[in-house]
Order: sequence, then C-alpha cells, then structure tokens
Amino acid sequence: MILESESVVTTAQSLKFRQLVLSNRLSTFGLVIVIISVSLAAAFTIFGERITPYSPYALNLQESNLPPSFAHFFGTDFQGRDIFSRVIAALPIDLGLPIAIVLLSSVVGIFLGMAAGYLGGIVDEIIMRITDLFLAFPTIIMVLAVAATLGAGLVNAMLAFVFVWWPPYVRLVRGGVLEVVAEDFISISKALNSSFTHIILKGILPNILPAVLTYATLDIGTALLEVSILGFLGIGIPPNTPELGIMVGSISYGLYTYPWQALFPAFVTMLLVVGFSFLGEGAREASDVKVRPYILFEGRVFGKAPEILKQELAKQRTPQQQASN
Amino acid sequence: MNDPLYSQYYYFMRDLFTGNFGIDPLTGQTILSEIRFYLPNTLELVLFSFVILVIVGVALGYFAGMHFSTLGDSIARIIYLVSWSTPMYLAAIVAILVFANYIPVFPSGGMYSLSISPPQPVTGIFLIDALLGLNMPAFLSGLQHLILPAAALAFVNFGLISRAVRSSILNVRWSTHVKTARAKGLSEDEVRRKHILRNALIDATSLSAVIFGWVLTSTLVVEELFAWPGLGQFAYQAIFSSDYPVLIPIVVVFTLGVIVANFVADVAYSLLDPRIGIGGHNGAVT
Repeated sequence: MILESESVVTTAQSLKFRQLVLSNRLSTFGLVIVIISVSLAAAFTIFGERITPYSPYALNLQESNLPPSFAHFFGTDFQGRDIFSRVIAALPIDLGLPIAIVLLSSVVGIFLGMAAGYLGGIVDEIIMRITDLFLAFPTIIMVLAVAATLGAGLVNAMLAFVFVWWPPYVRLVRGGVLEVVAEDFISISKALNSSFTHIILKGILPNILPAVLTYATLDIGTALLEVSILGFLGIGIPPNTPELGIMVGSISYGLYTYPWQALFPAFVTMLLVVGFSFLGEGAREASDVKVRPYILFEGRVFGKAPEILKQELAKQRTPQQQASN
Repeated sequence: MNDPLYSQYYYFMRDLFTGNFGIDPLTGQTILSEIRFYLPNTLELVLFSFVILVIVGVALGYFAGMHFSTLGDSIARIIYLVSWSTPMYLAAIVAILVFANYIPVFPSGGMYSLSISPPQPVTGIFLIDALLGLNMPAFLSGLQHLILPAAALAFVNFGLISRAVRSSILNVRWSTHVKTARAKGLSEDEVRRKHILRNALIDATSLSAVIFGWVLTSTLVVEELFAWPGLGQFAYQAIFSSDYPVLIPIVVVFTLGVIVANFVADVAYSLLDPRIGIGGHNGAVT
C-alpha cells in the first residue's frame, strides 16, 4: 500500500488544492451544508421574515406545542412560534457570531504571533507567556464568567469569546513564522534590503495564511458549538433571541412531552458543525504534505481520485506492485 | 473594601492559597465545604467517562489508521467527526430520551436511588466509598446512574483523540523504523503493539490533557441535564444567580484541574517516549 512511485506523488502534489478537497465526498458534503446555511442566513438577514413560512417572533398561543406536521415542519414551541422559522432566524446569529469570533481571534493571533515569531527575544517571551496563561483556563468556564460579568448582549458574548479564543492562533502563527523565517528566501530578501513591511506582507503572511485558514474552518464549528452552549445555559446571549442553543435550553422541563422542540434545533446545530468539520478536515488533510500523496488512493470509498491521477496510477501499476497489493 | 486595590489583591491571593474562599451568600455555608461536597461527584463522573473515551477513542483511531483508505476507515472517520460535532446537550438529551424514557434501562438523573442507604463517606467519591463499605446495592445503583451521563460525556469528546491517533498512525505506519522492525523479524503483532501503537499513543497523551479540560467543562451541561450534584451544576447555579464570590473559586478549581491534567500528561509523555527526559540528565533531550 505504499506509494513508491515518484510520479504519482508529484502528480498528487501538483493537483490544485480545490481539486484535492473536493475529491473527498465528505468535504464536498460539508461544503454544500456550509453554502446552503450561509446563503439562508444571508437571505434572512436581507429579506427578514418574508422568507420564513411564519413569523419567528410573533406569539400564537392557540397553536402552542404542536407536533411536527406539514404546516409546521419542526412543530411549534410553547409560545406557538413556528420552530422551523425560528431555526432560519437563528442562522445569522449562529453562523455570524462564530465567524466573527474566529475572524477577530485570527487577526489577533496573526498580529501577536508574527510579532512573537519575527521579532523574537523579549517580545516573544512576553507574548508567549501571556498566551500560555490564557491557554490554561478552561474555555467555556472563562467565557461564561466573562459573559456573565459583561451582561447579556450579542456583542458582549462575542467579546467574551474572543477574550479566550485567540491563544491557539498565536501559537499556530508563531510556529509558522519560525519555520518561514528560517527559509533562504527571507534571508535573501533581507540581503536585498527589502523593507520590514515588505518582508512581513509579501514574504511571511502568504506562507502562514493557508494554515490559519484551515484551522479557522475547523474552528468555526467548535466556536458554533460553544456559542450554542452559551445560549443553552442562558448566559450572555439575550433571552428570546432566536438562537439554537436557547431554543434547546428553553425546553428542559417539557422534554418528555415535547421532545421535538429540543431535538430539531439541536440536530440543526449538529448539522452545521458537521458541515464545517467535514470541510475543515478535508482542507486540513489536503494541506498536510505528509498525508497528501496518500489521500488519493483509488481504493478510498468516500472520494474519487481525479482522472489525471487515475491514469498516472494505471501507468505505474507493475505486476510486482499488484502482487504486493 | 476600603483598602487600596493591591491590598485587596493581597488578601484575595492569601485567601486563595489558604483555601479560605469565604461564605456562599446564598446558602450561608463556607464555599470550601461546598466545593468539598461537589468536587468528588464531578471527579467520579469525569474520570469514569475519561477512561471510556480514551479506550474508545484510541481503539477507533487505531482501527481507522490501520485500515486506511478502506470502507472501515471512512466509517470510523464519519463516526469521530460526528462525535466531535455533536453539541453536548444533544448527546445528553438523546441519551435521556432513548435510554431513560423510551427504553427505560437507566435512570434519567441523580447519583443513586433514594431507596438505598448511601455509604459512609471516606474518600467522598460515591462508588469507591460504596466498595470500601462493601455496600453492593449502593455500588450497583451508583454505577447505573453513572453510565448514562458518562457515556454522553465520552461520546462528545472522543473524536479528537481518534483523529490524533489516526493521523499519527498514518505518519508512523510507513516510516523506516517500522520497516526495520519487520525486517529484523519481529512478529506483526509485536510491530503493531511496540512500534506503531506506542508511537501513536505519544501524540494522544499530550492531547488527552486538553480533552480532560473539555470533559471537565462539559460537566456544566451534563450535570445540569442529569441532575448530577457536581461542580458543574454548582457553577451553573452560581453563574445564573450572579453569585461571583462562589464563581471565582470554581473557576480556580477548574483551572487547577486542567493544570494538573497537563502535568500528569507531561509526566506520562516522558514515560512513554524515551527521547524525552524529565530532568535533562543522562544526555536526555529535554
């Protein structure tokens, strides 16, 4: 099962990143979920209640606690609001908040990580010790404490998350910068008297961005989970906001009687996170140079090798290799 | 309160290290005694589910890595990715609905049934106390109540371990030292156990400290849903009632738990990997 042939490996390396990611059906599935949910969220942000079958906010006590039916896909909650509409209304918050958290954290991470990695010395020491300090705190507990102190509000919840979310990015970026700085082209660039900003922006940044992007894709899913847990616990995010975690949390006492009120929003949460995880996992695998040549085996079930690689594999297949397989 | 900020900070740190956290304004008990009551329950739940998740996670990751690029690998990957993407509350709710409501095999909440006499507290951990007191009904009842929350906790958190084990197996499987081991005539079983699995476990060890922290904090949700009288539920109530004097010691205890887990993982790391020494003597690389 070892790819001994150089040319197969080179072919695999030469394939575009996009092709590699999409050769994996799981990642494609993830991408589809992400695209659908993001466009639904965007549509709701633009058009508001006009795209949902019912108003996600209006109370209708005569229709409270209805089971799922064709009129109400996910049933209605205890105040008679259509859960399907509320789930759609929750998408902008449940996607927007994690994306904002990850974006801000990666900006902080890139800034501090580059400073630590490139400047080195005492700056590196100070930044990394502070980062280690923040890494020691258990995330969700710290978020809860900060969010409870700041008071309920979406912006406050986001700030509370960013407060604990940035340390892994600093470590990631710093590690990447240290690797890149050791490369020859940076020393050459320095010898050519390139400016500091030029080295940072043209030399280092493009080389660390892919790693950050890959990590961030996976991280949006994690952030989404934690945001919805914050909502579930009822802290930080204002009550009555259509948010998936809050919708699950508001049901804890009627769980046996009206399980769908909790199950549907919870499953939607899972589906969203699955989307980001599958996509991020595929991207991570495709960007991993060690695993990359191996991910395009013909034998993989949930992915098809691109045609060009199949031909290359067929060409290389000697009787001896067939025997060893 | 009239003192300047640095004096207040000094008092706070002094009290922190002497364990004098003050009195819970809601219950009137000292916070230390409350933590002493809740902490063993949480430890019981967390340690039990941690053992489950490490076993399941390593086994699944090992399976996926050794069956790379086959149907089994793909299914194992889907399982751990889904496990990892499941919100904690979904796992707990499904567990309660299915195994406590529709098929009532396990109780839906609490630590032991009210009909049994609880054992004498020795260590504070219910199951160990029951065993020490040879109180079989209490032990069985405790175990029965433990399985569902522990399984829910384990299910949500084992994914990352599987992924790490799988990818380190992929790194090590085709490496030269494994080829050498085969070439020198070790049996396949020995090669797998000593050269592949052991290398894979090294990565999993450093990761397990992180996972331990996650399991510890996931108790916030699980203990609330399963009515488990532990630190997570205590923290939840403290946050909900804005009881900051209680919240600060709890955050300290959770953070201590994470730091201790990291320390244990570092020690285990050096035991597993001979390249890493603790002291730096004997030419070991630190």
